[in-house]
Amino acid sequence: MMLPQSVLQAPATLGDLLDVKSFSEVCQSFAELYRVGVKVFDIDGHKLVDVKVGNADFCGYIWQQQEGRSACMATVQQVKGAPVGEEAKPTTFDCFSGCRYVVQPVVYEGDALGRIVFGPFVPEDLTQLPTTLTNISSGFDAAAATAYLAKIRRVPQATAEKILHHFGEILEVLVFSGHKNLLTARLHIEAVQESYRELQEKNRQVELSYGKLKELDRLKSNFIATMSHELRTPLTSVIGYSEMMLEGLGGALTSEQREYVGIIMEKGENLLQLITSILDITKIEAGRVRLVLSDVELEPLVRDALSTVAPQARKKNLTVTFGDVVGTLPKVHCDREKVRQCLINLLANAVKFTPAGGTITVGGKDLGDERVALYVTDTGIGIAAENLPRVWDVFYQVDGSSTREYGGAGLGLAIVKSFVEAHGGEVQVASSPEQGSTFTLVFPRRATGAAAARSHPTARSAAG
Amino acid sequence: MVAFNNEAREVALKVVYYGPALSGKTTNLHALHDKIDPKVRGRLMTLDTKDDRTLFFDMMPVFFRSASGVKVKLKLYTVPGQVMHESTRRIVLQGTDAIAFVADARRSEAPATLAYWNNMLKNLEANQLDPRELPIVVQLNKRDLPDVRDEGDLQDLSRVVRPAVIPAVAIRGEGVVETLHALLTLTFRSLDARIGLERSWHISEREFLSQIFSHVDLRGTRLAGSVGAAR
Repeated sequence: MMLPQSVLQAPATLGDLLDVKSFSEVCQSFAELYRVGVKVFDIDGHKLVDVKVGNADFCGYIWQQQEGRSACMATVQQVKGAPVGEEAKPTTFDCFSGCRYVVQPVVYEGDALGRIVFGPFVPEDLTQLPTTLTNISSGFDAAAATAYLAKIRRVPQATAEKILHHFGEILEVLVFSGHKNLLTARLHIEAVQESYRELQEKNRQVELSYGKLKELDRLKSNFIATMSHELRTPLTSVIGYSEMMLEGLGGALTSEQREYVGIIMEKGENLLQLITSILDITKIEAGRVRLVLSDVELEPLVRDALSTVAPQARKKNLTVTFGDVVGTLPKVHCDREKVRQCLINLLANAVKFTPAGGTITVGGKDLGDERVALYVTDTGIGIAAENLPRVWDVFYQVDGSSTREYGGAGLGLAIVKSFVEAHGGEVQVASSPEQGSTFTLVFPRRATGAAAARSHPTARSAAG
Repeated sequence: MVAFNNEAREVALKVVYYGPALSGKTTNLHALHDKIDPKVRGRLMTLDTKDDRTLFFDMMPVFFRSASGVKVKLKLYTVPGQVMHESTRRIVLQGTDAIAFVADARRSEAPATLAYWNNMLKNLEANQLDPRELPIVVQLNKRDLPDVRDEGDLQDLSRVVRPAVIPAVAIRGEGVVETLHALLTLTFRSLDARIGLERSWHISEREFLSQIFSHVDLRGTRLAGSVGAAR
């Protein structure tokens, strides 16, 4: 079995460890300082740097001669490829031309990664051109060659070795830094890939859990919808038969019996309303709200909604008044039944949370910009600022305790918000504890099907 | 995983210092850097943060050429101990040939030690390395501090933990060489069994160890006098 290769142990060449362009600049400046050329080869003989100083004319002249050229190439092969050991020590190579090179391996972590070639320079003890050069051809011009040679720096051997040693030390530090950067980069890339892999695995698990939760949520919604439907059927019978009894279809009732049957019917209707709300919410959560749009006069709609809650308001001795200008409002293209339901929910809340003797006001405003607002203001118990953002959440009750004073399932405002947003509108609430609350519904003059499709289960809403 | 190159006659090994944060892994490498002759080791590479916490790893190479002409290259790495560097630890551990587990000997550090031991086993598994076959030594470091486990505890530990347990005070250089020596002894035996260091490469255990430890300052260690210039 193949085990994973360690990224840190992967081999690197001299070229990998150096920024060759910057290093060439360093070599250039170094060669200019000492006025001697520098070459650097990697271990496979690839030339990384080649800086020539002073020898162009001399070598160029030799290169013009056939024999000179081949002798020159032999020297270059020697300098480039002859064994120089694995320790950072200089080896001298004499050129047939009388010039000299000193060569030192680039040693790093005990390995030779390449070699530095310092030269050509003229050995200090060279007094005249050697015969190996002067004899290369019959037409060789020794005077011209000597003049060219004078342009190449004359360096004592010990100095050349010292310079080379010094350069080798600098290069070793550069290689070390390069290696450090290379390993850091490799490890960094590897760590990022590893983290990415881990994240992908976690994402996969989260997606799996999310899928399961979505399926459970769908099953829950289906269950609630089915149960609500199943509950409504017998409940309608309970209400219907109660109504028949009250109308005397089953014979005359005593006043006590009338009262009891009346209570059965009233509670039955409360229950039916609650079940209808649950059905509405499940539809909203399932994204099945459909708007039936028409041009709607707002005043009759508001009066209709008010008449629905009027009996309860009277019972609590609350004053219900008309606020601004509902009669002057333009027609709104909306779902009449849903807007009426919204108002009824807000009014029912206002009645529930306003103590006896309080006032409830319903009004409307043309906001301009093709928008119309309906609002319900009460002088009720109000809502603390910290609870305001959550009142639109499904099942949220400001007082969620089992001993709470006010009943309700926490669906009313959630339904309102969903219906208003289905129209492309928005809901607002302002409140001061012990002073009262104002709930405002802002509708566009013309709701569109697109807005309806955008709405749904962000449904957050509250009391009642 | 040991890399060997028949043509170049080279064997490259990886040794990792693993352990909880602040247990002294980097300190071990610093002490070894001070004690090993630069002839057989390279520079100590550290990749740390401003507050001297290891960011990626530390690394120090040790190398020699055997009498049979084989170049042996050992690289000693540390992992970053901080919990957040989990993926880096796993990557540094990739293909390791041996592990020195550096633990803080204080009783209060026992839970962290156990957690990192288990973390190491998990990361070895992720790298397809078998902890039962891998050479591992445990270094109980910081033995100079109060509340450390005593000799009795050490012996108890030795009975339940398979790896050799070596006491140390790395900050003073104590036990550091002994840890490396014990680990490299095991490493040689493991490699010898796997790739035949002695049979195929003609490197004996004695030579393997002496090539390194004859270049280590053994003064004050339990190895003084026992590891000589044997070649």
